[in-house]
Formats: sequence, structure tokens, C-alpha cells
Amino acid sequence: MKPNHPITRRQSLKKIARISASLAGAALGVSPLLSHSLARASSTAGKGFVVEGIGSKEGYKIKELTRKVFDAAGGIGKFVSKGDVVVIKPNISWARRPELAATTNPEVVEAVIELCLDAGAKKVRIADHTIHDARRCFALTGVGLVAKRTGADLVFPRSSLMKRMKLHGHRLDVWPVFVPLVEADKVISLPVAKVHGLSTLTLGMKNWIGGVGGRRSALHQDIHQSIVDLAQFFNPTITLIDATRIMITNGPSGGSPSDVAVKNTLILSNDQVAADAKAAGLFGYDPGKIGFIRLGQKWGLGTYESQKLIQQRVML
Amino acid sequence: MRARQLVWIRRISQTFFLGLFLFLLVESRLPEDAYLQYSLVFSSDPDLRLSHPVTFFFQLDPLIWLSSLLSGHRLIHGFWWALGLLLATLFLGRIFCGFICPLGTVHHIISWVKPSLKGNRMIEANQKTPGHRIKYLLLIMLLVGAVLGLNLAGLIDPISLFFRSMALAILPAIGTGLKELFDVMAASDIKVLNHMSYAGEILVSPVFGYGYPAYKTAWFIGLIFLVILFLNRIRPRFWCRILCPLGALLGVFSRFSVLRLEKDQAKCTDCKLCSRRCQGAASPMPSQNWENAECLLCFNCFDACPEEALSFRFRWSPKSNTWPDMGRRAVLGGLVVGISLPLFAKLDGHAHHVSDPRLIRPPGALPEKNFLQLCQRCGLCMKACPTNAINPTLAEAGMAGFWTPHLIMTQGYCEYTCTLCSSVCPTGAISEISAKEKIERPIKIGVAYVDRGRCLPWSGNGPCIVCQELCPTSPKAIYLRKEVVPGPDHAPMPANVPYVDLKGCVGCGICENKCPVRGRPAIRVIAAGESRSLENQILLTGSVS
Repeated sequence: MKPNHPITRRQSLKKIARISASLAGAALGVSPLLSHSLARASSTAGKGFVVEGIGSKEGYKIKELTRKVFDAAGGIGKFVSKGDVVVIKPNISWARRPELAATTNPEVVEAVIELCLDAGAKKVRIADHTIHDARRCFALTGVGLVAKRTGADLVFPRSSLMKRMKLHGHRLDVWPVFVPLVEADKVISLPVAKVHGLSTLTLGMKNWIGGVGGRRSALHQDIHQSIVDLAQFFNPTITLIDATRIMITNGPSGGSPSDVAVKNTLILSNDQVAADAKAAGLFGYDPGKIGFIRLGQKWGLGTYESQKLIQQRVML
Repeated sequence: MRARQLVWIRRISQTFFLGLFLFLLVESRLPEDAYLQYSLVFSSDPDLRLSHPVTFFFQLDPLIWLSSLLSGHRLIHGFWWALGLLLATLFLGRIFCGFICPLGTVHHIISWVKPSLKGNRMIEANQKTPGHRIKYLLLIMLLVGAVLGLNLAGLIDPISLFFRSMALAILPAIGTGLKELFDVMAASDIKVLNHMSYAGEILVSPVFGYGYPAYKTAWFIGLIFLVILFLNRIRPRFWCRILCPLGALLGVFSRFSVLRLEKDQAKCTDCKLCSRRCQGAASPMPSQNWENAECLLCFNCFDACPEEALSFRFRWSPKSNTWPDMGRRAVLGGLVVGISLPLFAKLDGHAHHVSDPRLIRPPGALPEKNFLQLCQRCGLCMKACPTNAINPTLAEAGMAGFWTPHLIMTQGYCEYTCTLCSSVCPTGAISEISAKEKIERPIKIGVAYVDRGRCLPWSGNGPCIVCQELCPTSPKAIYLRKEVVPGPDHAPMPANVPYVDLKGCVGCGICENKCPVRGRPAIRVIAAGESRSLENQILLTGSVS
């Protein structure tokens, strides 16, 4: 595989100049990045829904499936309004190629960005505080290319974008937070579904461990409550779990195609707990037996009891 | 050609090559917008590479080529650049020193901006002294040492020295300083400062590195560099005249130079302006014998002479130039030191028998003996490493391995699919590998072991498993078992405790790096088990030598 560098030095210099100009503007008080407050609609208002989209036909288009799933939930326009700044939080923690299912499928990321732009979003950002080196994660997971194709901003996790904030959690109080994830009009959580040695699974709520900095490795000492505290703090507008490929063993890093199962499934919900519960079913787990799902319901983030939710299924 | 024009051509060339050197230095890291065409049919993990020829100056350097050849018996990649330079030097003299060498240009600029001496004292300082022979001593020492298997050329080779000093000391010093400033601004509650911090980082990080790398003991490298720069206060281009072994090598090769300083004694009024501006103390005055091997071809004397008594001309005569004045002592001294140093290198405990557990070499590194014969300590692998894991050694590799690269896992870790360091090594001391090779062979750089007394679950201090979560191999070399450990109230407590499978572990060190036990982590990597060595092994393997 030859590396591909279609961006020339001149272009990247221009890009830097453009970004810094816009930031200089930002410094004067017309921020495109940071001026939006936390004022976004509470996602738990009204009744929760879960949409499960399954691509059952050979050669189905992921983009089409994504659109169908959103349509079943009332269309992207219900979540993203014209002029919104949308931030997407994929799970691109590992510098791994997409087919190993350690990271969110770039085709799903691309589909969601296009939907947001169609809905009139002013700006779409992709932000994740990766575990591996961010440059390598961006390149290998394919998200770097998606950002280039769609014109979305891929926010580099710089230390100046980490800011200590009060999480108001039951376990976590003050923690460094990756700022772009909270300073946006709409937040879309876009995790991949994987197994995990300690928390059993890593799904939508656990995606938010990638939203903070600091001594993240210490969170594992009380992983379930930490996950719930973070999910409660970030409170995404919607969660779309990418289960097109899921990691069924050796998670969360994987590394071998044999660790991966193809499920061709997307799960969309405005309820983080419900989305995770639904995805847990794909692995054959009883959601009530997974710590963070149970705690999520206990602390009122959502519900895993299916009768309390509007459930839909889309086949393609 | 007129003298003025020649001087300006020299200045433009110096600026260009210094600029090119600094540009390649800055580009010796992954760019922020590196990306690959992803495809669902990747058969293996793709390799990220740098898009600029960052090893160019190392390929151009004949001392690096010769010392690698004599010591490691290996022709380095792109050596024909160096060969071409030697051929050019043979007929044109030390044009590299005057026109190309970036370190020489820095010395030149310093000597020019703030001349160390004035008037007659400068003329005196620009006379040849026996001290000039030191560089020949150093050159002979390096080459003889290299023949006997001890390659120390990189320690004082100007390209290696300049790159190492800039990459490991000067850039990180400025970069981390700026980062501290940005962090203060980012932590502030004033919005404008936050934005300025972010904008500042966007501008600065492509130059100083995205993670603001800092290197262990780099202050020492920086200090030596500053001392070398300070020497210009004693004499202009002190380093080039007295110490530079590459300058000595090129001086020897300028034997047949046809570009000669022609002197017209009749026109000379003995104003000594030429001597005052001479960069190399090469005796340009018509009353003296021009020292062809000392001349840096700066053309200052030509330019300075008001009487047109001096000129540089091409003279195609079979007569060769005077042999450089090395002096018998410098030659003998070089021989003696060159022969004794390889013996001294063995007086280092058992450094050459028993590997230090901390001596974790980059993936793809040759077996230790061959590695040391080729490594130029240039710091390119350290600069390129995206996690800042690769740092210079002090004593870990013995005297022969001073400032060679090793991985410090508390600083960074070796990313499982990354092979960047192997692709930038100028001499092949780290041979180029692909991610596929690295994973499938696998190339191990060491193995991890658990320190149960410190490990949280093993010591009954609560759940953790971070090492297992981050272990990148498939299947994971760090696996969990449910065991009963003594809990805090002396009651038996069930816990998931980590074990290391020595066969699967590649020693990447991400476990050590991310272990929540700070300071001395509860899981650590040692070099034993590295695949480049037959001896430094733990397990009984199939093929025993």
C-alpha cells in the first residue's frame, strides 16, 4: 500500500493560514468553534426510540441504510437543524484498518456527515481523543480521508482543547474534557460495537471515554460508573452504533479478521442506554447483566426495557 | 567571474541548503493530515511514510558513507550522492564547507553577525595554528576506529551533530516552552486567550511536533551544541577549522583541486584585508603559501582585496596541490587513539556481552554488533517516532552505544502498526520493515512482565485490566484469569488478574506506558526476547545456534 498525499505543501499552508485566520476572527469574538454553549435540546425529552437497520441483501449500500435508519426515526431534520454546528464522535482510538472493526466504519461516518450537511448543518466536526497517535489513527481508520472528501473538520486532539470541567457525576467530579465535543449545537455519538475485557462490551456510552483526557487509565478502577458519569455529561443528541462489523473476541483492539463478525446492522437511538442494550443483543448478552447499562437506567439516562421504547426495524 | 558575484552565489547557496536542511528537519515527522486511501480490501496494515527525502543530507555526507562502509561493510542507500561530492571535492576543493554544509553556514552566520575580534587581532586569529591539525587527528581516529569495528563518526560528524542537536534539543526546548505558554492560556477563563492558544498551537505544532516531544538527557546534547556555537567567539568558524572531521576528509580530497587561489605578489600592498576576512585561516595573503586543504572556498579574500592581487581561477595543470599539513603527531595520535578506542569500548562491564534490560532498540534494528557499526546517532528515528518513545541512551549501551536510540516506555511506546523509524534510518542500522512483517513475523523488541506487588488487581487494590485492554496483538499476549487474591480486609477477593504470554508478547510497551501505576509501572518491558538477538532470549526456541 503506497501512502497517498494528495495535499501539497502549498495547500496545507493555505489551509493553516485559513484556519488561523478564522481563529484570529474567533479571538475577536465571532468564534465558529467555541462560542456555542451547552444549550442543546435534551435528548431524553419525549419517548425514546430505537431503530435497527439491517442490510440483509448482498451488496447493500451503507449510505442508503444509514439514510433509511434516520428516515425511520423521523428524518435527520428532526435532530439537526439548519445552521447547526454538529460534532460527530466516532470511535477511532486505534490505528487500525477499518475491516478489523476496532474503529467506526468510515463509510458510516461519511454517510452521517453527508446527512448532516443535507440537513443544513453549518459545520460538521469529527472529534475523538484517540489512544494511539492521532495522526496515525486518522490515516489508518479512513476517517482522515472521509474528512477530506466531505469537507468536515477533523479536530486534532491538542492540549489546548482539553479543559477541566465539572462532570457532576456520581464518581467523577472534575476531569479534563475535549472541548469540541461539548461546544457544539448537536452531538452525534458514532461508536463501533466491540467486546471489552472489563466492561464486557464497548458501545455508545463507553464511547465517551474518548471524550476526555487526563489519567484515563484510572477510570477502569470503577469502569461502569465512570462510563455512566461520562455518558450523562456528554449527553449526545443521538447515538448511532455501527454494527456493520462487530468485534466478537480479543476486544477492544482486535487485530485479526477472525476477531470480527459481519452484522450489517446500524442501531439509532435518542436513548444511549437503549442503543447499548439493543447492541448487546447482537453479542447475545442480556443487557440487564451489563453493569453500565444497568447503572445507566438506575441513574435515569435511559432505559433498557424494550416495552418503554418505540421500536422499529428497517431492512434493506 | 567577479568576486562580488561569487560571494553572493555562495550566500544564496548557503541560505538554500540551510533552509533545505531545516525544512527536512521539520518534516522528519508525520504530518497532521497524513491519510491513506482506505479500502475494504486491505490485505494487511498499510505503512505510513514521510513524503520528503529526509535523509538527503546524510546521503550527501561522505564521512557517514565511509564510516558505515569501513565499519559495517555496507553501502548505505543513496551513497552515490556522497561519492559525487567526493569526486567534486577532488577537483574543486572544500566547496561543501563553503557552499552547502548547514552547520558551517550557522557558524559562518554567527561569526559574521558578531565578529569575535577586531582589526589586527582578527588577522592574528586567522593565521594557521597547529590546532588545525586536531581535525585530522579526529578523522584518522574515526576511520581507524571504524575499520576496527567501532563507529563513532556520528558523534562529531557535522550533519549528524547538527541534526541531533536541533531535533533533540533546540526544537523541543522552544516547542515545550511554547506549549507551557499555550497551556496557561488554554487553562485561563478568558475566552480570547483560549482562542489564541488554539490558534498558536495550530501554527506552531507542525514545526515543533504534535505531541511536543522531549528527549531524556537532551539538555546535554543541547549544551554541547551551544558550546560549539560559542567557540566562534574564540575564532571564526572554530569548529570548521579545528574540529570538523568531515572538513578534514574533504581537505584531504581537495588534492587535485583545479579551482585555485592565484596570488599576484606585485600588486599586494600588504593591507591584510584578505586575511582578516578569511573563514578558514587558509593563508590567503600573497606573502604566504595558500593552504588549499584549509580553504573553505568562501571567496571572501577575493572579494576583500582592493588591489585585485587575488583571484580564484581554474588551472588545469597536472601539478597537484600541497598535501594538507597534518603533522606527524596528529597522524600518530589519530592512529593510537583509533586503535585504542575499540579496546576501551570493551572496558565497560559486560556491556558487549550482556544486554542491559533497558536497551530496547527500535523495531527492525540489526543485531547489536551490526547496529552499533552503522548507527550514526543522528536522532532521525527519535524525531520521527510519533509517540516520543525513542530516546538517546547514555550508559545503557556502553561507550560504543552512547546516544544511540532506545525506547523508554514511560515516555512513549512502540505503536503496533507503525514502522516509521525503520523507514528513515539513513544507514540502515534499523532496517526498513513493513507493518505486515512487523506483525506477522513478529518483530519483537522485548517482552513485558507483571510486577505483582504493584499491580492493582494482583495486590488486591481493585480492578484494572488496562494492560490487557491495550495489548495490540491478536490473540492478546496479556490475558486475564479470574483468581482469588487477598483483599484489603484480609478477606479473599475474586479479581481478574493479568498474565503475560511470552510467546505472543512483542514488547511494544503500550501496557507499561498506560499503566495507571505511575512512576514505576506495574507492568514493564525488558529487552530480553528481542527477535534481533539469538542470545538475549528467555524461551527455548526451535532453532538454537
